[in-house]
This record gives sequence, C-alpha cells and structure tokens, in this order.
Amino acid sequence: MPSLTIIFSASLALIAGLAFYVRSRFLLEKMSGKEKETGRKMYELAILKELGDRIGYSLDVHEIIDIITGSLRQFIEYSAVSYMLIQPEKVIFKVQLEKSVNRGFLNEIRERMLGSLSALLDKELSKSVIEEVLSGVILSEDTNEPVRSFFNIPLVIGEKVVGVLTVSDTKPGLYKEEEMTILYKITQQASKAVSKLQEVVRMEQRKLNSMVESMADGIVMTDNDYRVLVANPAVKTLLGLVSARELSIFDIIEHVAGKFDIRSKLEESIKLGKVLEVPEVILGERFFQIFISPVKSTAAMTSGETLGGVVIFHDITREKELDTLREDFTSMMVHELRSPLDGINKIAELIMSDRTHKHAEKVVHEYVPIIHKSSSDMLRLVSNLLDAAKVESGKYQIFKEPIGDIRKLVAERVKFFDPSVKAKQLVVKIEISADAPGSMSFDENALVGVFNNFIFNAIKFTRDGGKIAIQAFLHQRGKDVIDEARRNGVSWFLKEADQVSKDLPSSLVVAITDNGVGIKRENLPLLFNKFRQFQSAAMSGDKKGTGLGLVIAKGIIEAHGGLVGAASEEGKGSTFYFTLPI
Amino acid sequence: MENKEQYLKLLTEIIKKQAVILGPDIALLKARSISGLKVSDDCAVTDIAGDPKEVIQQLVNAYVELSGQIVKSALSSIFEKYPGINKVE
Repeated sequence: MPSLTIIFSASLALIAGLAFYVRSRFLLEKMSGKEKETGRKMYELAILKELGDRIGYSLDVHEIIDIITGSLRQFIEYSAVSYMLIQPEKVIFKVQLEKSVNRGFLNEIRERMLGSLSALLDKELSKSVIEEVLSGVILSEDTNEPVRSFFNIPLVIGEKVVGVLTVSDTKPGLYKEEEMTILYKITQQASKAVSKLQEVVRMEQRKLNSMVESMADGIVMTDNDYRVLVANPAVKTLLGLVSARELSIFDIIEHVAGKFDIRSKLEESIKLGKVLEVPEVILGERFFQIFISPVKSTAAMTSGETLGGVVIFHDITREKELDTLREDFTSMMVHELRSPLDGINKIAELIMSDRTHKHAEKVVHEYVPIIHKSSSDMLRLVSNLLDAAKVESGKYQIFKEPIGDIRKLVAERVKFFDPSVKAKQLVVKIEISADAPGSMSFDENALVGVFNNFIFNAIKFTRDGGKIAIQAFLHQRGKDVIDEARRNGVSWFLKEADQVSKDLPSSLVVAITDNGVGIKRENLPLLFNKFRQFQSAAMSGDKKGTGLGLVIAKGIIEAHGGLVGAASEEGKGSTFYFTLPI
Repeated sequence: MENKEQYLKLLTEIIKKQAVILGPDIALLKARSISGLKVSDDCAVTDIAGDPKEVIQQLVNAYVELSGQIVKSALSSIFEKYPGINKVE
C-alpha cells in the first residue's frame, strides 16, 4: 500500500501537470489566434498597398478586382472566386477555379451573383447577355459537389453598382466573420479610392470636353473598338446631326458614305501609327480637309499604347473660295493688261510699216492719243493694284497735314464733279454740322482719292435727276452714332442693326448718300474685298475702273485710324461713310 | 401599423434581401450580432426585444458598415411597403 504521502505527492504532480497542460494549450491557442490575426493584418496591408500602387496608374475595375481575386489564395480557402461586371451591352462573368467543380456548381454561382446584382439594382438581369471567362483548374463532371459556402461583395464605384465579387466553396460553414469582413473592408477601400480618382479624372475630362466642344473644327474620337468617345457640336453640325445626343460610328459612316471611309482610315492610321490626311472631301455644300490620327497614351506605365483614334474635320470652304478668287483675279488682271498692250503693239506695227512717213499726221493726231489712252489705262490699273497691295500688306503710307479743312475739301470735290452732276441733272447737297472742326489732321491727297471714289460711285449709280447728299457731323466717344446722326438731320441708310463700333473714338463722321439703285444685302460684305471687286468690275465690262477704289479707300481711312462702311436698301439708295478721329 | 408583427415582417424582408445580395452566411451573422434580434436559419426574424426602430437602425448600420451605402438604397423598396414605419437614416 503506498503511503498517503506518496498518493498526495502523485496527486499534486498530476494536478500540476494537468494545470500545466491546460495552461500550455491556452497559451498555444492564444498564440495561434494572434498569429492568425497578425496574418490577416499582414494580408490586409499587403493587398491595400498593392491596390494603392495599381490605382495610381490604372482605374480599370477589371484590373483592380483581378488583384484582389489573385491574392485571395494566400488568405482564404475557396473552390471558386468569381466576379460579374455590368457592361453597357453585356455582363462579364469571370471565374477563377481553385478546385475542380462541375458545371452545376458554376451555374449556381452565376445565378446567385445575378440574383445579388438584380436585388442591388432592383432590375432583372437574368436575361442579360453573359460573357463567361473561366480560368484555373478545369471543370469536371466527376465531382458532384454543390455550393455550400459563399458570400458576395457588391462592387460600387462612384455610388453606382458596377458588379459583384463572390467567394464560394463546396464545404459547408467555411467562412468566418473576420475573414469575410476583411474582404469587404478591402473592397470598400479600393472602391473609395477608385471613385475619388475617377471623379478627379472626370473633372479633367469635363475641362477637356469644354475645350473640344468650343472648337470650330469637327472632332470625333473613338476607342480601339471604334466606339465614339467624343463628338463635338461642330462635327454634329457638319454631319447634319445637331439634335443627336450621342453619335455612334454607324451614324457617321452613314452620313459620310461614298465620300469618306472613316472606319478604314481609322484602322489604317492606328495600324500604321501615323497621321493620315484626306486633302479634300465635300460634305453637304462645304469642303473639308480631314486628318486621321492614332491616339497614344503618354502615361508613364502605358506609354505608347494605342488608346484609339481621332478624326478632325477642318472646314476649308473659305480657303477654297479664296483660292478660286485668286486664280480668277490673276487671269483677269493679265487680261486687263493685255488689251491696252495689244492696242499699243498693233499701233506700233502700223507706224513701223509706214516707212515713207506718208501718214505722219495721222500717226500724231490719231494713233498717239490711242497709245496715250491705252498706256494711261495700264498705268492706272498698275497703280491701283500697287495701292491695293500696299493696303493689303498694311504698308499704305499717309502723310498727315495738321491743318486740313474738311469743308473746303468737300466743296472742291463737288466742284470737280460738277460736269458729271449737271450731265445727269443730279442735285448735290452738302451739310456739315456746325460743330465739325475747322481744321483737322489728315492726308489731303489721300482723302481726295476717297471722296473721288465715293462721289464717283454715287453719281454712277444714281438715276438722272436723283439726289446725292454729302454730310458730316461730330461723334463724341461713348455716344450712339445713329442717335447723333438723327440729331444732326443726317438721312442715311445706317440703322441700329448695322452696329457701328461702340468703341469709336471721338471722330468726324462723313457720309455720302444717294437715292440710286442700291446694293443687294448679300453683296454688302464683299464691297471692300479686293478680289471680289476686281472680279465684278472685270466681269461687268466696266472700263472706267478696276473696282479697287473702295479697297484703297478703306486702306486710306484705316491708315488714319478711322473706319469705313456702307449700308443700303436695294432700289432706294446707298450710304458710304467713313470716320476720321479728331 | 406600427405593431410588432409589422416589424418582424420588415426585419425578415431586410435580412432575406441582404441574404440574396451578400449571401445567407454573412447576412445571418450580421443580423445575429444585433442584440434584441432573434433570427432563424432561414433568415426569418422570430422575436425582437427593445425598441424595434432602434433594432432596425442597428441592423441597417451593420450592413452599411460591411458593404457601403448602396445596400441601404437596395432596401428602399422594402421600406416603401411599410409606410407606417419610419425609414432609417
């Protein structure tokens, strides 16, 4: 029989051993729990860092979700991790299989994810087109395990549901609250970061869009799948699609069919990686020069990557018109010079053939005046052309004298035209307001040219017995010219709608008004255009002028710091006016 | 309208909808973490203790904390069916 002491000692040892065991188990369990907790924390930090790095250069939701799903294996057990992303025309269903499952498992996951999305959006998605992408281990019909554990994480960007992420397994009750919570937390943080950055990007996009929208050139930008990303109002106008909210590539293809193959050109430009140019395309009634260029990324990580293409429609209608005018102008100018030269040449031949000088008297009295007339016409034409060229290049020089008298100048000019006025039985009225300065600074010779031109035109385009008024009044800076004219009793064809410059400095306003044939409204803006004037003068067979007088007059007045204009009512008459700053 | 039955029904609908959205495991775990709420395995609320409005608020907060404000939006249609019960903030 063992003694009581031994039994007691053994009992004590047993209790101590038991206590040690219990304590050790407790400590081990505690350590294991801490390790797990540390592991979870480490995972959370690592994945958040990776997401932070990635979000720095990509806001692609696919890529961000791929990072989360790609790292899950080290943290949580699963048969499949999958995500669904809602696209405009389909739903992408991407599955990474870690363990072999059958089609039934996959279908069940798909239905649950669609159910989750439908509940989130309050919208039935079961009939959507689903694009399935499988990766990882292969499906096997040998297994017959259903989904026993799963949880869904809604994917939200900018308060908008974009998809759902699902972790699933064949084992029941697999997922613990802590693990699931960490994944929700990570996804939420990624979603917040992407949302914030997307908002920044959107703000920048809005700025860029405003700039593109205000551009006169039509601009279309597409992605690599030819989806239209940007179409500014100018392009909608030129395509006749002003009311269209959004344009598709098919809208554009349809409207430029047979004139410009936008899709092929974009394809070619992207493939070759260079800018292509279509020099001239007629769309509607206008000419366009079209540039097609690939759009490449300049971001550090994706530098050089093709993002899509851009098409720029540059309206060259005006340039085309000017080219045509220039060509016509040159050929007409040559023609105008050729006629008098031809006359001189013919007469010279005649004189040379008269070796005996039998017709010397005829030569002197008949031929020499013709030579003089022809050479004078040529000289006038060349002078006018030179003056017009100087005006155009801004090199027309005036020589102002400080004591110019406008009243005297007008009176002399009217006297100069007296024979023509009498021949047409015209009535010429001169009205210069009392406050018009007695002496002003201007180039008298140059102003004589301006008056000659305006008065000559007034006589020419006024019917016999008509009236011409030469009126002048003082304009005060900041006052309304139309109102001032009314108060000075000036009757002219200018109205408020003609909008004489509001910033006009204090000036003498001179107006020559007739009650002649008037000018068509559409021709008014062309009056001071060199090419137009010469063209119309040449075409009308007008032998008395090159039509450049108005262009030169405009140059003279502008050189004085004034402005020139005209207003008219067809059939009632015209007003030509100019201003001279005082 | 504001009787216990209505609250039980409303809470059951909330949990069942969250079970569809988030999955039944996590929806139940979160619901059962709310004191005063008894929930069966099929997501039905069998009893509420305390102020039911407070319980609803706590439940919705738990789901919002987990997956964001979007889950609250998804519950709007349920609250519309119970006009006598104030919508949570």
